[in-house]
Amino acid sequence: MMDSAASATPLLQVEEIGISFGGLKAVQQFSLRLPKAGLFGLIGPNGAGKTTVFNLLTGVYRPDAGRMHIEQLNLVGRRPHEIVAAGIARTFQNIRLFPNLSVLDNVRLAGQLRNSHGLAATLLRTRRSREQEETLRHQALELLAIFDLQDRAAELAHGLSYGHQRRLEIVRALATHPQVLLLDEPAAGLNPQEKRALATCIREIRDRFQLSILLIEHDMGLVMDICERIVVLDHGVTICEGTPEQVQNDPSVIAAYLGCVTG
Amino acid sequence: MANPAPNPLNASWPSTVWHGLQPYAAGMVLAVILHFTLPGMVGPYYSRIVIDAGIAMILAVSLNIVNGLTGQFSIGHAGFMTVGGYSAGMLTYYGSLWLWDAPEKHGGFLGSGEWLLAGSCLAGGLVAAGMGYVVGLPSLRLRGDYLAIVTLGFGEILRVVLQQTGKVLEDPEALHAASWSDLLCPPAVGGAIGFSGIPKYTNLFWVYAFVTFTVVAAYRIKYSSIGRGMIAVREDEIAAQAMGVNIARQKVLAFVLAAFFAGTAGGLFAHESGVIISPKYAGFQRSFDYVIMTVLGGRGSISGVMLAAVLLTSLPELLRDFDQYRLIVFAVLLVGMMLLRPQGLFGIHEIWEFFPRHRASPRRPPA
Repeated sequence: MMDSAASATPLLQVEEIGISFGGLKAVQQFSLRLPKAGLFGLIGPNGAGKTTVFNLLTGVYRPDAGRMHIEQLNLVGRRPHEIVAAGIARTFQNIRLFPNLSVLDNVRLAGQLRNSHGLAATLLRTRRSREQEETLRHQALELLAIFDLQDRAAELAHGLSYGHQRRLEIVRALATHPQVLLLDEPAAGLNPQEKRALATCIREIRDRFQLSILLIEHDMGLVMDICERIVVLDHGVTICEGTPEQVQNDPSVIAAYLGCVTG
Repeated sequence: MANPAPNPLNASWPSTVWHGLQPYAAGMVLAVILHFTLPGMVGPYYSRIVIDAGIAMILAVSLNIVNGLTGQFSIGHAGFMTVGGYSAGMLTYYGSLWLWDAPEKHGGFLGSGEWLLAGSCLAGGLVAAGMGYVVGLPSLRLRGDYLAIVTLGFGEILRVVLQQTGKVLEDPEALHAASWSDLLCPPAVGGAIGFSGIPKYTNLFWVYAFVTFTVVAAYRIKYSSIGRGMIAVREDEIAAQAMGVNIARQKVLAFVLAAFFAGTAGGLFAHESGVIISPKYAGFQRSFDYVIMTVLGGRGSISGVMLAAVLLTSLPELLRDFDQYRLIVFAVLLVGMMLLRPQGLFGIHEIWEFFPRHRASPRRPPA
C-alpha cells in the first residue's frame, strides 16, 4: 500500500531544491513526491531545516536550485500569495493568527483570495460584491462549524485559548481551499488528550477534503501513528525516507537523534 | 441583465445600483440641509469651523486607511492634500479665466462654477493619487520609522519645489497667449507667496458631499475583502501573504486611495474663503495634525477618527484666547492619551461596537 502511494503520480513534486544563507547550507537537494491525499511527515532534530523546507515550498524563500511543481504548475520564483492561490496552504510553528481580527474574519480573509470583485464594486457595493461577501461568510461559518468553533466566530482571535488558536490556524489554512496542507508542529504545546484529538482531526481533514498533508512534528508518537511516509532531515540533508517502521529502525536516524554512531 | 434571475439578495440591476448609492445619496441630502440651515442658526463664524472640521475629517479618515487599517506610518499626508489643492486650484482658476474671462465666482448654488469646483477636486484627487502611487512604492521595502522618513521627505520636497513655481497669469489675454509649457513648466501657481485668486467656491454643501463620499467609501472598504486584506497586512505581513493576500498591492492601494481623498480635500481647502494655498501647507507640521487625529481617534476606527478631527479642529477655535498654546494643548492631549488610552479614543472599534448588541453577534456588514 505504501509503495503504491509513493509511486502514484504525485500532486506535489519537489526535485532537489536547496538554499544557502551565506555559507550555511540550510537545505540541500530536498526531494519529495507527495501524492494526492497522502499524509507525509517531515521530522528531524532542531535546526535540521524543516521549517526552511516549508518556507521554500510556500515562496517565503526562493530556492537556489531545484524544481517544484504542483500538478505541472511551476512553483519556483512565485510569490507567497501566488503559491497559496496555486493550492498550498500552511500553518505556523509559532501561531500567527491576526490577533485583532475576529475568528470569523480570520477565516474569511483566507477565503477571499478567490473573490473576483474589485475596488469599484466594493465602493458601490454591487450585487456581485455582496453575493461574494455573503458566500464567503457562509463558507467561513460552515468551516468553523466543522471544527466546532462557530460559537467563537465573533470573538477576537487573541482571546481564544491556545488549543483553539492552534485549531483556528488549521481552519484558516483550509479556508484557502488548498490541495496541499503544510502543518508546522501542530501539536506543540498541546496536552496528551488534545494531541490524540489532533491526530483524529488531521486524518479526518485528509479524508474529508481529499487533500495532501505534510506534517512537521516533534511528537514521534503522533507522527508514527498517522503518517504514511516520513522524511527525516538532519543538517539540511535528507538522511532517510520511508514508512514509519523503516524510519524507526534506520541507524542513521537513530544516530541523528541520539548522537551516537551505531552499525 | 437580460434575464434578471430571481435572486435572494436582489432583483434587477437598476435597484442594485440604487441600493449601492443609497448611503451616498442620503449624505448628499444631509449636506443640502446643513448648507441651508446651519449658517442661519449659528452664523458664518461657526459655519466656517464646521467647514474646516469637514475638510479635516476627509483628511483624517483617508490617512486612517494607510496608518490605521494598513498599519503603514505615513507623515506626508499634507503633501497629498497640497498637490490636490494646487491641481484643483489651477483647474478652476485658469478654467474660469478661460471660460468666463475672470477668476471670480460664477453661478449660484449648484451652478456651473460649483460643478467646475467638484470636477477640479476630483481631478486634484487623481493627481494626488498618482503621487500616492509613487510614494507608496517605497512602502514595499521600508517599514516603520524608515517609511515615515520617506513620506516626511515627500512633503518637504514638495514644499521646496512649490516655492520654485512661476507667477500666476492674471488676465485672460495672457492666458490665451500662453503656451502649455508657460503654464505647466514650471506651473504658474505663484511660488513661495502662494496661489492667490482662486475663486472661493467651497461651501458647506460641497464639503459635506465629499465627506460623505470619503466616509462611505472608507467604511465600505473597511468592511470588505479589501479592508480585511489591509488589516491583515497591519496585523501580520507574513501570515497575510501566507493566506493569499498580495501585500504589495494592498499597501500601494492604501496609499493611492488615501492620497486621492486627501487630494479632494486639498481642492476644497484651496477654494475655501480666507485661504491662500501656499507651499507651507505641504510641510510636516500640518501632516502631524492629521497623524494626531488618527492616533487620537484609534487606529482603523473611522468614527473615532472623525470625532478626533472635529475635536482637534474646533478646540483651538473655541479656545481662541489660548491660540498660541494650541501646540501645547496638542502635546498635552497626546501625552495624556498615550498614558490613559494608548489605543486611541475607540481603539480599533467603531462607536456602535460599544453597544452590547454588536458584541454578541458576528459582525455583519450592513447592506
